[in-house]
Amino acid sequence: MASEPVARAVAEEVVRWGSMKQTGVSLRYMMEFGSRPTERNLLLSAQFLQKELPIRIARRALELESLPFGLSNKPAVLKVRRCLPSLHVRDWYLDSFRDIRYFPEVRNRSDELAFTQMIKMVKVRHNNVVPTMALGVQQLKKQLCSTRKVPFGFDEIHEFLDRFYLSRIGIRMLIGQHVALHDPEPEPGVIGLINTRLSPVQVAQAASEDARSICLREYGSAPDINIYGDPNFTFPYVTSHLHLMLFELVKNSLRAVQERYMNSDKDVPPVRIIVADGEEDVTIKVSDEGGGIPRSGLPKIFTHLYSTAKNPPDLDGPNQGSTMAGYGFGLPISRLYARYFGGDLQIISMEGYGTDAYLHLSRLGDSEEPLP
Amino acid sequence: MASEPVARAVAEELARWGAMRQTGVSLRYMMEFGARPTERTLLLAAQFLHKELPIRIARRALDLESLPFGLSSKPAILKVRDWYVDSFRDIRSFPEVRSPKDELAFTEMIKMIRVRHTNVVPTIALGVQQLKKDLGGSKAFPPGIDAIHQFLDRFYMSRIGIRMLIGQHVALHDPDPEPGVIGLINTKMSPMTVAQIASEDARAICMREYGSAPDVDIYGDPDFTFPYVTPHLHLMIFELMKNSLRAVQERYMNSDKHAPPVRIIVADGAEDVTIKINDEGGGIPRSGLSRIFTYLYSTAENPPDLDEHNEGVTMAGYGYGIPISRLYARYFGGDLQIISMEGYGTDAYLHLSRLGDSEEPLP
Repeated sequence: MASEPVARAVAEEVVRWGSMKQTGVSLRYMMEFGSRPTERNLLLSAQFLQKELPIRIARRALELESLPFGLSNKPAVLKVRRCLPSLHVRDWYLDSFRDIRYFPEVRNRSDELAFTQMIKMVKVRHNNVVPTMALGVQQLKKQLCSTRKVPFGFDEIHEFLDRFYLSRIGIRMLIGQHVALHDPEPEPGVIGLINTRLSPVQVAQAASEDARSICLREYGSAPDINIYGDPNFTFPYVTSHLHLMLFELVKNSLRAVQERYMNSDKDVPPVRIIVADGEEDVTIKVSDEGGGIPRSGLPKIFTHLYSTAKNPPDLDGPNQGSTMAGYGFGLPISRLYARYFGGDLQIISMEGYGTDAYLHLSRLGDSEEPLP
Repeated sequence: MASEPVARAVAEELARWGAMRQTGVSLRYMMEFGARPTERTLLLAAQFLHKELPIRIARRALDLESLPFGLSSKPAILKVRDWYVDSFRDIRSFPEVRSPKDELAFTEMIKMIRVRHTNVVPTIALGVQQLKKDLGGSKAFPPGIDAIHQFLDRFYMSRIGIRMLIGQHVALHDPDPEPGVIGLINTKMSPMTVAQIASEDARAICMREYGSAPDVDIYGDPDFTFPYVTPHLHLMIFELMKNSLRAVQERYMNSDKHAPPVRIIVADGAEDVTIKINDEGGGIPRSGLSRIFTYLYSTAENPPDLDEHNEGVTMAGYGYGIPISRLYARYFGGDLQIISMEGYGTDAYLHLSRLGDSEEPLP
C-alpha cells in the first residue's frame, strides 16, 4: 500500500490531470488514421493516448470521490458511502491512472509495444465496472428506500452514471482501437474495431438469433423476428456497439411479446426490424406488439435505477450469463452507445398495443466523441 | 373610429384584464357540467365566460402588440389585433347576465365573436409570410427568430381554448343533441370511425391534386369508443394523413412500383388512446425533423398566396398543419410525436389522454 506522501502526491496529480481539457476524436478520424497503421502512426497514437487517457481517467476518479451521497459528513451517509462498491471502482481508476502516468515516455517501437500491452491490461482491469456500479446503485437504492428519507438525488445519480458510462465507452474505444490496430492480419475492410463495410441487416440477424436463444432458454419458446432491409447495404461502424444495442432492444421486445402471448391461444405476432439507409443516418426500427408501456411510465425506462424484473439477479452471486430481464442497464447504456458516434435511440410506445424503438446511427462519421 | 380618450380607456382596460389570472377547465369538468344543461347551469356558464373570455382575449391582444422583428406592425397582424380588441369591447360592454333572456343574448354575441375570428390562422400566416419576405427569406433569418415560434404556439393554443369554451357553451343550447353528445364532446366517439372519415377526406384532396391516392389501411377495435371532441381528432388525423399521402405519392408517382399503403393503428390503453400513422414515403432526415413543428417553413413549392382568394384546402399549405395538430393534442393533455426513418418513411404518434382530467394549458 502506498505511503502517506506518495498517496498525497498521487491525489494531487489526479486533481491536476482531472481538470485538463479532453480531446475528442471522430469516427472518421479514427478510420483515416487507422487505415495506415505504420510504426510511425502507432507511435503517434500511443503518445496521444499517453496524454489523453490520464486526463479522462482522472476526471472519472474525481467524480467517483464526490458522488452525491458522499458529500455529507453524517455518519449514516458515510456508512452508505463505505459500502458502495463504487469505492472499488474508484480504486481501479486510481491504479490505472498511476500505471499510465508512471509509464516512461514512449519513444520507439519497443516502448510502443510495451505501452500497448499496459493499456490492454488496464482495459481488462475495468471489465466489470458496469455490474459493480450496478451493485452499488442497487444497495444505495435499498438503503435510501428503507430509511424512508425522501429519495433525493436520484436525478443526480442518474446524470452522473450517464456521464460516467459515456466516458467509459470513449476510453475503451480509444484503447480497443489502438490495440486492434496491431493485428497483423485484419479482416478485409476492418480498421481496428471499425468495420468499414458493416452490414446492419447481418448484425441484426446475428443479434436477433442471440436474443431468441436466450428467450428460448428462459421461456421454452420465442417469437419470430422478421428483418426488412437491403442485405447488400453496408456502412462504416463498430460492429460490437451495434450488436450490443440491437441485442438489448430485441431482448426487450421478445420478452414483452412472450409475456403477453404466453398463456394465450392467439398467434404470436413477430417482432419486426426495419433497416433504412438515408444520407445522414442509418435508422433501424425494432417494432413489437408486446402490449406497450403507458406514456407516464416511459421516462423511467431510460433511468439507470429501474428494472421490470421481478427479482433482479443478485449481483453478488455467480453470474450465469445474460438473462432476459436484468438490472435495467440495457436501454440507458444502449442509448449512450448510439449517442457516442452522433446517433440516438428513441422509444415510443402505444399503450395496449406495442413499442417501437428507433436507433439512429450517423453515417457522416464526423461527430466528435461527446466528452462529459 | 374611436376618439382619443375612448381609445385610451380601452387600452387601460386591455392592460388591466390582460394581467388577470386565467382559469382553466378540464374535459371531464366540461362533460360533467354540460351533462345537465338546465337554464340555471347555462346561466352560471355564461357568467363564468363573461369574466373569463375578456381575460384571455385581452392577453392575446397585448401579445399581438409586442411581437419581435416588427411583426406587430405588419398589416395582417394589425387586422387580427383589431378583431381581438373589438371582441374584447363587445364582451366588456355587454351588461351583466342575470336572466335566461340575457343568457340567450350573450350566447348570440359570443357566437358572432367566434365567426369574426374564423380566419385568424391564415391571416397571421400571411403576416408571417410578409415578415419572411422583408427578412429576405428563410436563409436570412436573424438569431432569436425562435421567439416567433414560441409566440405562435402560445397564441394558437390560447385560441383553441377560447373557441372550445365558446363552442361548448353555444352547442349546449342545441335542443336536440345526438345521443351521447355533450356540447362539442362526443362521449362515445369511435376513433376508428373518425380515422376512416379523415382518411377519406385526405385521399379526396390527394386525388384532386395528383389524380391518384395511396391506399389507407386502418387497424383497431371498431367498437371501441371514448369521450373526445370529434372535430379536434378529425383535424389532427386529416393533417397527418395529408402529409403521409403526399410523401408516398411524390415518392411513387413516377415509379413502376406499387405505392405502399399508409397504415393507421388505433390502440386503447388505460391512460391513453394512441393512434399511429405510418407511411413509407421516404422519411425526413433527422436534422430536418424539428423544423416540421415550426411555423416559418413549408415544404410546398409554391405556398398559396394568401392575399388571393382562398380556394380551399390544398395538400401543402402554409406549413401550419403539424404544429397546430400538436397543440390540439396537447390541449386535452395528450401529445403528438413524429419520428422518421430517412430513406424509408415517417411515423406519427397521436397520444390522446383518456383520463380527461388535465386542465387546459393556459399560456
